[in-house]
Amino acid sequence: MAHRIVGQPIGRLDGIEKVSGATRYSADVTLPGLVWGKVLRSPLPHARIIRIDTAMARALPGVLAVLTARDLPDVLVGRRMFDMPVLARDRVRFIGEKVAVAAALDPDIADEALALIDVEYEDLPAVVDAAAAIEDGAPLVHENPGAYEGAPPERPHPNVQSVLRFALGDVEAGFREADRIFEHTFRTQLAHHGYLEPHAGVVAIDHDGRVQVWASNKMPFRLKELLAHALQLPKGQIRVNLTPIGGDFGGKGSLMDLPLAYHLARVTGRPVKMVMSYAEELMAGNPRHPSIITVRTGVTNDGRIVARRVRALFNAGAYAAFKPAPSVNLGGAGMGAGVYRIPHLAIESLCVYTHSIPCGHARSPGEPQMVFAGESHMDMIAKELGLDPAEFRRRNLLADGDRLANGHHLEHGRAKETLEAALKASDWSREKPGPWIGRGVAMTHRHIGVGFTNAHVRLESKGTVALVIGLPDTGTGAHLVLRQIVAEVLDLSLDEVQVELATTDTFETDSGVGGSRVTHTGGRAAYHAAEKLKEQIRAEAEKVGTPGASFATIAQAAARDGRTLEASYFYDARAHAAVTSFTAQVAEVAVDPQTGQVTVRRFTTAHDVGTIINPLGHQGQIEGGLIQGLGFALSEELGTEDGRISTLSLGDFKLPTVADIPPLTTVLLEDLVGPGPFRAKAIGEGSISAVAPAIANAVADACGVRILDLPITAEKVYFALREKPA
Amino acid sequence: MIRLTVNGTSHDVEVPSYRTLLDCLRYDLGLTGSKEGCGVGVCGACTVLLDGKMISSCIALAAFADGREVTTIEGLAEDERLHPVQQAFIDFGGFQCGICTPGQVVAAKALLDTNPNPSEAEIREWMLGNLCRCTGYYKIVESIRAAAQARP
Repeated sequence: MAHRIVGQPIGRLDGIEKVSGATRYSADVTLPGLVWGKVLRSPLPHARIIRIDTAMARALPGVLAVLTARDLPDVLVGRRMFDMPVLARDRVRFIGEKVAVAAALDPDIADEALALIDVEYEDLPAVVDAAAAIEDGAPLVHENPGAYEGAPPERPHPNVQSVLRFALGDVEAGFREADRIFEHTFRTQLAHHGYLEPHAGVVAIDHDGRVQVWASNKMPFRLKELLAHALQLPKGQIRVNLTPIGGDFGGKGSLMDLPLAYHLARVTGRPVKMVMSYAEELMAGNPRHPSIITVRTGVTNDGRIVARRVRALFNAGAYAAFKPAPSVNLGGAGMGAGVYRIPHLAIESLCVYTHSIPCGHARSPGEPQMVFAGESHMDMIAKELGLDPAEFRRRNLLADGDRLANGHHLEHGRAKETLEAALKASDWSREKPGPWIGRGVAMTHRHIGVGFTNAHVRLESKGTVALVIGLPDTGTGAHLVLRQIVAEVLDLSLDEVQVELATTDTFETDSGVGGSRVTHTGGRAAYHAAEKLKEQIRAEAEKVGTPGASFATIAQAAARDGRTLEASYFYDARAHAAVTSFTAQVAEVAVDPQTGQVTVRRFTTAHDVGTIINPLGHQGQIEGGLIQGLGFALSEELGTEDGRISTLSLGDFKLPTVADIPPLTTVLLEDLVGPGPFRAKAIGEGSISAVAPAIANAVADACGVRILDLPITAEKVYFALREKPA
Repeated sequence: MIRLTVNGTSHDVEVPSYRTLLDCLRYDLGLTGSKEGCGVGVCGACTVLLDGKMISSCIALAAFADGREVTTIEGLAEDERLHPVQQAFIDFGGFQCGICTPGQVVAAKALLDTNPNPSEAEIREWMLGNLCRCTGYYKIVESIRAAAQARP
């Protein structure tokens, strides 16, 4: 089907403000009388708070309030599991936990006030390692976690937050069918999302008691519910104003400092702004869970997988509050099955409490960890079997009708085509261009995100259409995609469709941005609302009796009767479809034998996609995710020493720079079978997860060194090369 | 009291000695286009031009700009006409969330002022101090190349 506007590589019409510095992010919001809040954090991983003396801080000129837990209601907050105090009450559980907050006329005075707060702690034994935390006799992070609201029932050890399982067939019987069994253990690092906008928020209480919120939060409607819970206010009293977000990548869905900003606003009678410093982001944001993953696979002599058992141990930190999934675990654990037909499968994912930074969701939560383990493991098995890694994969790829870990029988699966496309584009079968150069392949697949979204469209008197939407802009270009969809349906030009941002007063609910859902859920909501409006316009045109009357004429005719032509649609998709998107990637790397430095010489990424609504934005998602994957593979790591984050600046936590990006080939295999509008699929999380294993496999191919723990730094490769038998 | 010229307009501002140039621009002058990302001069989101030279305004004191000329993202467009770099960032997908974009655009303008026709290697070397987490940089490089070609 040919489209007019859908499928065009249109630049960001909403971008003039962004390239001019005019966009107002949360940290840019200012209000008359605004004051600043700043947080004092714990320097100890586990301690009892004996005493907090705030007298000197309160006496500092310019300080309006200093609060501790005693000044706040005794409420625990969270997203699904409510286990985190707004300020530590009696006990701190990680270095960086909030113990007091000050409001002052400017941020510098607020910082000075914090330095004047005297806290007396009694050190308690801490456990910061996930494996140690679930041994008998380990210090308990929480006395009775099962009692928390939203706590999952299963808890094999008091330090376990949650257990998530995926199972197919009978795994023990499966292993009995195997000719050979392989087991390897992998580790991945603690990693921050790296968005360049630290969490920021402004809270103001109106004269009538309404709480106005501007926040870098991608789920404004859920935020309203969570704030109502945290502040013990009726939902209707809170209004979240949609604010542009300076990068999300899964990290901008939690409350962060907003309850504190509210309490400071309540006490001071002034609007309060709180902006985290980047050091605070790195010590107390909601980063990607580090993992220890053991994969055990049984294969037959001809290279068919018959059984797999995966055990993932995620160090979840001191609180579960940042995790949004009902399981309070990481759905990506299911990717332990990879892209393979595994008749007998058992995956167990444990999120474990430790006295360290609480982790949250990060772009494709759990998947980069699991795919690194699974796809490295595949190459290690292929080597033992004497098979080409691509050939070993070919023999086991999912095909239509095969069961995925989530129980679905795959439909429209294109694993094989995607793999072959990546191999071809990367010259896989050609001889490598020199010594110390290697190639590695890795694959993954991802479901199309689900959720629920409201859209409202209204015909304006000048014949244009306003699209009202409750999804904030996190940067993906979703608003442009939605405009394209409405313009396509109503046969308008893009300029004739304007996006109007809702507030949380406009609609009842919306699942917000995340999980690669927006093109699907927002797109379908906008599509169906536009279809309904189209029908109204057609009916009105008939009434007017002028076939081909302009939209302006029709709108004005309706207005004469006191009517506005408008339509709403609530799109609700809660269950994943049996359609998914496959990714195959090939890295070609060079290893410097003197230093161990890995250079990615070229990279190929192949994706099985649906209808592409905006090719420019689509490619931007692929490239951005891929370079995040590159950072995860090679450089990004929040270093820790006894629970203390040692990389507290972006100089130490190393995001890739423009100098680090490899020459890239992208292959897109369009197959118009997605559940999104015009049969679109999802792309936001398709390119990140297989990058690290593709590089690890390429490093092994280049120099015979297998790195089992991320990131693959020069020193790890250097020492592994030295230890390698000649 | 310091006097600085920002985007062609002279301002007299009373600031404490510890005030950074970034905070002075954002809070004393209300020019919130320049952003604070890392706060330690690494990410480039706060990039402005001081007498035409690129600096990280988050680690420069406001007093340092006394008597000098500052150009921020708000000063790039002329009579509502976007600078070619700004237009190219829109047309070629050079931004997503936009938080690093003011710094990227100011840095790219400084590059083209110095070197109107940079090679890809020169673009990469110059732009090294501007982090972006959304785009993976490919489209930023493309945007800057396009802007160089679009300039008269």
